[in-house]
Amino acid sequence: MQVSKQSRQFARQLFRLSLADGQISAERVNSVLIYLNQHPPRQPLAILKHYHRLVAAQLAKNHASVEHAGPIADSILHTIERALTQKYQRPVTATAEPNPDLIAGLRITVGDDVYESSIPSHLAALASSV
Amino acid sequence: MLSYLLFLATAEEGEKASAVTKLLSDFGIDLPLLLAQILCFSIVAILLWRFAFKPVLSTMEDRQRQIESGLRYAEETKALLAQAQQESAAIIKQAQLEGARFVEETRKTAKEFLDQQQKDATVRANELIAKALQAIELEHGKMLDQARLEVARLVVLTTQHVLAKELSDAERARYNEAATREITVI
Repeated sequence: MQVSKQSRQFARQLFRLSLADGQISAERVNSVLIYLNQHPPRQPLAILKHYHRLVAAQLAKNHASVEHAGPIADSILHTIERALTQKYQRPVTATAEPNPDLIAGLRITVGDDVYESSIPSHLAALASSV
Repeated sequence: MLSYLLFLATAEEGEKASAVTKLLSDFGIDLPLLLAQILCFSIVAILLWRFAFKPVLSTMEDRQRQIESGLRYAEETKALLAQAQQESAAIIKQAQLEGARFVEETRKTAKEFLDQQQKDATVRANELIAKALQAIELEHGKMLDQARLEVARLVVLTTQHVLAKELSDAERARYNEAATREITVI
């Protein structure tokens, strides 16, 4: 579906309204949705999809997905949160997600950035260097 | 003439009448008849000489001249023919020499062309061989690279399988801590 320029701009405006101190606010998102329900615009589905994409991207920026294999201590998660918060200058929360494919090591995904130090990645680097 | 003869006969008749008369009568010669025969013979001889012998002799002389001119013409023609044959032989010999020279030059040119073609063929063959060797080298290199990649892939796969089975939780936890230190430094 072709999203018109006006629809994209409108979705971006709604997204900006959903922010509070640079962070997504649940109450504001709820208010935006109620408003859209009461005053449905032209191309509502396209607007909502674009708005959803923007909100998800913003949420992903403040969330770090820590994939790990084997046991991981909470201190490691806190260390990662501190390091990423300092790096991105915004609060980042880390959640652990087990991934046995990593064999050992971590893969951290923050928004579009991926940091990895795992056995498969090291072996792949070794294989490419050969 | 006849009167002269008659006069002579009359003048000497008296001196030798008896001897001549006896001689003539012995041989049965009649002098007037003899004189008349001599006269007729002379007339016939003169007529024959003028109207027969002379034209015939003239004709014979003409024929003789014609024959001689014909023979002379034949001689000249024979000489011209000999000369023409000599010239023809000379021309033929010259042409043979020229032909032999052309054949020799053509043979020489053909040999040079053949040698050049052989050289060119040798050069092209060597170039083809060099290109083929280069292609073989490239293929060999590619094959080695592919083998290397395949071996690396198999090594990685095997290592992953082995590590997945052999690593203990404590070793995994230590590896996670090392990974954390590595990532947070970045």
